[in-house]
Amino acid sequence: MTTDSIIKIKNVSFTYPESETPAIDNISLDIKRGSWTSIIGHNGSGKSTIIRLINGLLVPDEKGKPEIEVDGLKLNDDTVWEVRNKVGIVFQNPDNQFVGATVADDVAFGLENRGVSHSEMVKIVPEAIKAVGMSEYTNAEPANLSGGQKQRVAIAGILAIKPKIIVLDEATSMLDPEGRDQILSIVQAMKNKYDLTVISITHDIDEANMADQVLVMNDGKLITKGSTKDVFSQVDLLKKLGLDVPFYEQVKAKLLADSVKIPASIDSEKELINYLCQLNSNM
Amino acid sequence: MSKILIGRYVAGDSIIYRMDPRGKLLATIIFILFVFLANNPVTYLIVTIFSIAAVAATKLKPKVFWDGVKPLIWLILFTSFLQLFFSVGGTVYWQWTIFALSSYGITNAIYIFIRFTVIILISTVMTVTTKPLEIADAIEWLLKPLKIVHVPVDKIALIMSIALRFVPTLFDETLKIMNAQRSRGADFNNGGLVTRAKAITPLLVPLFINSLETAIDLSTAMESRGYRGDQGRTKFRILKWSNVDLINLIYFILLLGLLLIFRTH
Repeated sequence: MTTDSIIKIKNVSFTYPESETPAIDNISLDIKRGSWTSIIGHNGSGKSTIIRLINGLLVPDEKGKPEIEVDGLKLNDDTVWEVRNKVGIVFQNPDNQFVGATVADDVAFGLENRGVSHSEMVKIVPEAIKAVGMSEYTNAEPANLSGGQKQRVAIAGILAIKPKIIVLDEATSMLDPEGRDQILSIVQAMKNKYDLTVISITHDIDEANMADQVLVMNDGKLITKGSTKDVFSQVDLLKKLGLDVPFYEQVKAKLLADSVKIPASIDSEKELINYLCQLNSNM
Repeated sequence: MSKILIGRYVAGDSIIYRMDPRGKLLATIIFILFVFLANNPVTYLIVTIFSIAAVAATKLKPKVFWDGVKPLIWLILFTSFLQLFFSVGGTVYWQWTIFALSSYGITNAIYIFIRFTVIILISTVMTVTTKPLEIADAIEWLLKPLKIVHVPVDKIALIMSIALRFVPTLFDETLKIMNAQRSRGADFNNGGLVTRAKAITPLLVPLFINSLETAIDLSTAMESRGYRGDQGRTKFRILKWSNVDLINLIYFILLLGLLLIFRTH
């Protein structure tokens, strides 16, 4: 059964045991197959909790009959392992998700858990390592790798199990700009090659801008969603939630304040540059 | 400092490096048992020659082995000294109150000295030429029979490999915290015993919290990667016996044979 949406969430709430207020407050959303979705929101808005609900690390509150469906599978105790086969997560801290003692061991970890035979592993592992450009580090130990390289290994570990959905849970937030760009371009390439669905939880506005769909969260609630254009043009709302807006929106706002008339339809850096150049030549 | 040598593994390339770690671990244990078979000058000479041969086969600088013996040198000298002056028997050359220098004491002191040194040398050969990870694999293999009495060998193996993998990480973390606390005036190197013990608190508390957080993160990551205990788990890293390991075996058959022949009963 293939549907248009790979993830369906209905009436999901979640309250951490030690807290009074729910971390996720009655959220329903759909994520399209093969899309790139960004989830933004300030710290503690419930972004990471959503992901942990989707792959069954956390179980939603009973009330309101919550439903989570991943790739046509309803999430429950019996299907949780199958769902985890479909969702690969790259976490925030590159050090704390590296299980193996070497790169190859770490990439193989997911395969070992699934009982893949040794003869198959020796084929899959080098391929996955090659796909993220880490072949020369196959036997390197994590202590000798940079943060960006460790995240690439994490991606290789996910590719090895061939998931449908890849989740970046603030995966680039502890990396330098170069490491971040590498990770994002690898994920973009993998998305196209294997037709993956990407969900990226991020504070980085440029990363969020790569998405087809942006979800904005605040205090466990879904505030707004839509294309990057729809969401990032709501500058006032984002500012109120304490979020950044992309650089071109900032420039636009400043220019508008200086009474330079910029049409609202401009929604990328390139368009803004073109428009400003034209404006200059017309003067 | 991230290039810390855990277990003092020294990179190199010689026959011993290519041997299976299981063979090396077993060999080390067996060698230590064999040493106690020696009981006369000839057998001690054989043991010495065999251990020097093993040391030579590593093709490493003698300094590496000296570093292995150095921390235990006082224990060796102390034990030999006790043997030298407190053994009674044979011809007595010199006596003063409870101290006595006898021919029996001299030979015993030399035997003990050789015994200690060769055991340390052989264990150094093992740790220096085997990566900690390989040692962990070898220990796992050795523990396998315990599965019969329901010892969770696979889990112990995973714990060992995670522990080894986090040694350098925690070491880095420790240095970072030390430097951070130093930059706020903490002093780790001065003062008496109590002052120094107190100075460690600002180092230990964050380190503990960090380790716990790391453990939580790691377990989340492991679970989301499909880890569900031992059932149905396969192994990526496997050890293979090769022809080189035959040398190891022959070496020990030879050693055992010679020791049994020249041993006095």
